[in-house]
Amino acid sequence: MLQVEHLTLKFGGLVANNDVSMTVEQGKITGLIGPNGAGKTTFFNSISGVYRPTSGTVTFLGKRIDGLQPYQINQLGMSRTYQVINLFRKMSVVENVMVGMHPHMKQGFFASAFKTRAERREERECYERAYELLDFVNLKDRAFEEAGSLSYGQQRHLEIVRGLASDPKLILLDEPAAGMNSKEKEELNALLYRIIDRGVSILIIEHDMKLMMGVADYLYVLNYGKLLAQGTAAEVQANPQVVKAYLGGDE
Amino acid sequence: MKTTTFKKQYILTGLFLLVFPFAADKVFNWNYGVLLANFCILYIIAVSGLDILFGYSGQISMGHAAFFCIGAYGSVLLHQHTGLPVILTICTGAVLATLVGALLAYPASKLVFHFLSLATIAFGQVVYQLVAQSPGNITGNFTGKFTDTISLFGWKLNSYTKYYFFSIVCLGIFLFIKINLVNSRVGRAFIAIRENSHAANGMGINVRKYKVIAFATSAFYTAFAGGLYAHLVRFISPDTFTQKQSVMFLTMLLFGGSASVGGTITGVFTVQFLNEILRSAERYQLLIYGILLLTVILAFPGGLYGLVRQILKKKGGKSDAAG
Repeated sequence: MLQVEHLTLKFGGLVANNDVSMTVEQGKITGLIGPNGAGKTTFFNSISGVYRPTSGTVTFLGKRIDGLQPYQINQLGMSRTYQVINLFRKMSVVENVMVGMHPHMKQGFFASAFKTRAERREERECYERAYELLDFVNLKDRAFEEAGSLSYGQQRHLEIVRGLASDPKLILLDEPAAGMNSKEKEELNALLYRIIDRGVSILIIEHDMKLMMGVADYLYVLNYGKLLAQGTAAEVQANPQVVKAYLGGDE
Repeated sequence: MKTTTFKKQYILTGLFLLVFPFAADKVFNWNYGVLLANFCILYIIAVSGLDILFGYSGQISMGHAAFFCIGAYGSVLLHQHTGLPVILTICTGAVLATLVGALLAYPASKLVFHFLSLATIAFGQVVYQLVAQSPGNITGNFTGKFTDTISLFGWKLNSYTKYYFFSIVCLGIFLFIKINLVNSRVGRAFIAIRENSHAANGMGINVRKYKVIAFATSAFYTAFAGGLYAHLVRFISPDTFTQKQSVMFLTMLLFGGSASVGGTITGVFTVQFLNEILRSAERYQLLIYGILLLTVILAFPGGLYGLVRQILKKKGGKSDAAG
């Protein structure tokens, strides 16, 4: 469903992503790993519209999306979470999810200004759906608290559910397990499968190898902005180059 | 229990607003008080506009007097040259300001914080210079322009009390729309942009579009208030639309507390009150605004209204715990 071909991104003389190609398949969990500074988040930013690739193409559901704005890419069905938590901190938990539904809502400025009947109905439906969605990550009882007051792990979960609110076909998760304790990681593990069950495919960046080796159907390894290896978890683990990239080693 | 006391409050407020001009004018022989009330009303409309822009969508404007000015001059000049009813020219002036606001916001939506402050200060200056030294003297420059009051289907609002009732109906409509707007999909988009514009963009919100909408709506509010001002005072001159006026709007908003209706109202009343009691010290006005702004930003960022609400909440919490 997502094809990236020969994607290169340069910042001046620095090549952040160099000729990266990858495919994300429908209904699968695709993992992207690599040492710190390998260009993983930059890669996410280039496919989700934050950066415009210097060269190469990104095709999503048969459409070229490189060069589009993030909001346009979201509207096409690709959602994401962030490495650094990017919630709307002063909004309530349920409102954060409602913002995620924004692209699917139809009522415009004047309907909102005068609270037409259609607008009120849409608002109510949106609210009810958002509230139900919170159940997906066990945040229903925190629905009316400020998002900034949640614990770190809960904030990560809220980001995921906000990303799911727009009913995407693909969700990009950028280090969802960062800062989570082992119990929260287990919950995340189960959550990933439940996301797949909803019909949403996953592209995930994560440093937690135990988690990644367990869940990812297919892995890509990035190092110094370049694709180093790809394959199933077992194949990647057995690849001497990957081991060297992570542990360092003699030439 | 709680709902009935709330209702009582609303009824009492309504009654007070209804009786106030008659009491002030006829009983206390304080016609000036009715004029002040008129000013408060139109400032609440103007500052509500600024609140939509700054309080909700997080874009600062240091030049909002420009929209106030476009609304005022737009209406006065249009009325003078076409003879259209004032109520129509006020609306036209406000629509004109809306267009100008959208036009300004389109490039300005790329700017944040201090760059946006600078751009809006510059915009305020440009508009001020245009009316102060207009080509062909169409604005009357520093001589100013006299104009007429509003007349509704031949019924002239020729007293402050009549004007008061007209303005308060307008205020009601404007606040109604503001409350609706901020509690809707559009308002959520504004707040999301304020809280985190990158994430808003990533969640499918067209950030530039909503920034332009916020600017345009804000301009409409403030310009409408400008129109109300012009036909209340029946005289306008560039002196009213200086940078000082923009700073006053911002002081009212921040001192009262942004992103709420209550805060706007509190801010307008407080600053107006201070303006009145310190009338003899007019040249220190900017100094006073400066001190107010510093106090609020450093000591209680939620504004006066936010502070009061915090205290009430604490008290409520305590009594709950006790009971």
